[in-house]
Amino acid sequence: MDSLITAAARALATGDPLGALNRVALRDDAPALALRGIAMAQLGDLARAKSLLKSAARAFGPKEAVARARCVVAEAEIALVSRELTWPAKALDAARATLEAHGDRVNAAHARNLEARRLLLIGRLGEAERMLADPGLVPLPPASRVAHELTVAGIAIRRLRTKAARAALDRAGQAAREANIPALMAEVESTALVMDAPAARLIACGGERPLLLEDVEALLASGVVVVDACRNVVRDEGRVISLATRPVLFALARALGEAWPQDVPRSTLVARAFRGKHADESHRARLRVEIGRLRAELGTLADVTATSRGFKLVPRSAREIVVLAPRVEERHAAVLAFLADGESWSSSALAIALGSSPRTVQRALEQLAAAGKVHAFGRGPARRWTTPPVPGFPTTLLLPGPLPSD
Amino acid sequence: MKQGQAEILREYGPFPNADQVHGVTFDGQHIWFASGDKLNALDPASGKVLRSIDVAAHAGTAFDGEHLFQVAEDRIQKIDPETGRVLATIPAPGGGGDSGLAWAEGALWVGEYRGRKIHQVDPETGAVLRTIETNRVVTGVTWIDDELWHGTWEGDESDLRRIDPETGEVLERLEMPAGTSVSGLEFGGGDLFFCGGGGSGKVRAVRRPR
Repeated sequence: MDSLITAAARALATGDPLGALNRVALRDDAPALALRGIAMAQLGDLARAKSLLKSAARAFGPKEAVARARCVVAEAEIALVSRELTWPAKALDAARATLEAHGDRVNAAHARNLEARRLLLIGRLGEAERMLADPGLVPLPPASRVAHELTVAGIAIRRLRTKAARAALDRAGQAAREANIPALMAEVESTALVMDAPAARLIACGGERPLLLEDVEALLASGVVVVDACRNVVRDEGRVISLATRPVLFALARALGEAWPQDVPRSTLVARAFRGKHADESHRARLRVEIGRLRAELGTLADVTATSRGFKLVPRSAREIVVLAPRVEERHAAVLAFLADGESWSSSALAIALGSSPRTVQRALEQLAAAGKVHAFGRGPARRWTTPPVPGFPTTLLLPGPLPSD
Repeated sequence: MKQGQAEILREYGPFPNADQVHGVTFDGQHIWFASGDKLNALDPASGKVLRSIDVAAHAGTAFDGEHLFQVAEDRIQKIDPETGRVLATIPAPGGGGDSGLAWAEGALWVGEYRGRKIHQVDPETGAVLRTIETNRVVTGVTWIDDELWHGTWEGDESDLRRIDPETGEVLERLEMPAGTSVSGLEFGGGDLFFCGGGGSGKVRAVRRPR
């Protein structure tokens, strides 16, 4: 490498993108384009960064496979930060293989971490964990360790392993201080805030209170029956009964759970489950059928027994039944949960992350936009959605994904 | 053109606090190598770094018998090896695209990496006296009597080559093992070259063919 490229690369590595740009701003050779691209990305001009990196990848010679692969990794990182989840994961995988084959273990590990972060973002926790399980036996530079530990923490948070999450965040903080890059320290701090902000509400015995992530973990391990409205399941310590695809049954379970140990009048259950105002005979007949189905689903966790005015839940072995509800409840909460990360998302990226159809997400976004809860900018495929950050708006438990016991 | 495989006789490093090796020179006793923000004096017998000078050191390094010369950003610094003081600075001919540096015949010889050129430069003023074109990227540059050698490094392929100083024609080529990059280059006396190993953080002694 030549002198100014070395100097610019050193500036970038110490978190000084302006210093790097100063040195290579007027150069259009391949390494200069790549460095300018990374510097622009660090400064937040992602569109310019992307086009610079594309030009750099083209400008490197046919024998400079490693340099090309590094450009692909940097492009992938920009796509990830821009929430363009449709970018070709295969290209990143191929770049990682090239880097590994040429002994560039640090950048290969970085590529692996990016793949894990993407999997984490789209809720494929198991695959993300496998991706991180083999970081190679290479001592990573501090900045790469921060990214690695943040991903580990992200997985632990989604899996409700708060001790592991805190340990990973501590290691990330330590590495960020070693790297001495303010943006990284800020990222670790903002991730750590999730641990200290209410993550859900507990509704029990007629009252409710906010729960921290650690409280949720403790609750799920405490032996009570939890009607979990964050994931639409009913569970105790060992068993999880998913009602995610049975909204009527879950609505009944939740109404019964909120009232426990009291019973719930038929008319209330009809209103909650069928959105009917009055319980006529046909509603009563349908309610009997649905209660029968719920009883069958809940099986050994709890029984649903009839009372003079309605129904109530009776735990089989647990001493208590509680309801775990999202901190903020509204329609399209899952869409808002993703947008609450403060990034701008395309509707197709949201559809990938939510595992639903683009049309469904589009409809939800249009309704949210009409209510003033999200904003769109850009046109056509470049259109992005964002939401003004709501202080304390939790994302963790609203994110659909595998449960801690998976 | 004579052609052969480079024979690596010894590897030094990687060294603590020096993740890259750029320029390399030899003062008859110590191998000096540039590691970004330092010039380091390496004892070729023990393989230990004896002392370091805190000075910007981004590319080629040379020794004129008294002073060290070091490429930093788009300049060439003249450094007192005893005190570490920068005595003078001249502009580098490649405007920052400079790589290798050598001293010979009272002039500095500066490799321009992607420009595939070697410039002969007046060490007092930085004026370019003449330019030799080559067909490969230039990393380290060194003179052995009347032989001009330079390193190349493109992707996985790296070699040491002797070129005709008049025409740039390649006269001899020593191919480095795959993945062994050459950054700096210096004749180490006798049958030795010293090569900077770039991102490997190593300095290598390579046999000079007779």
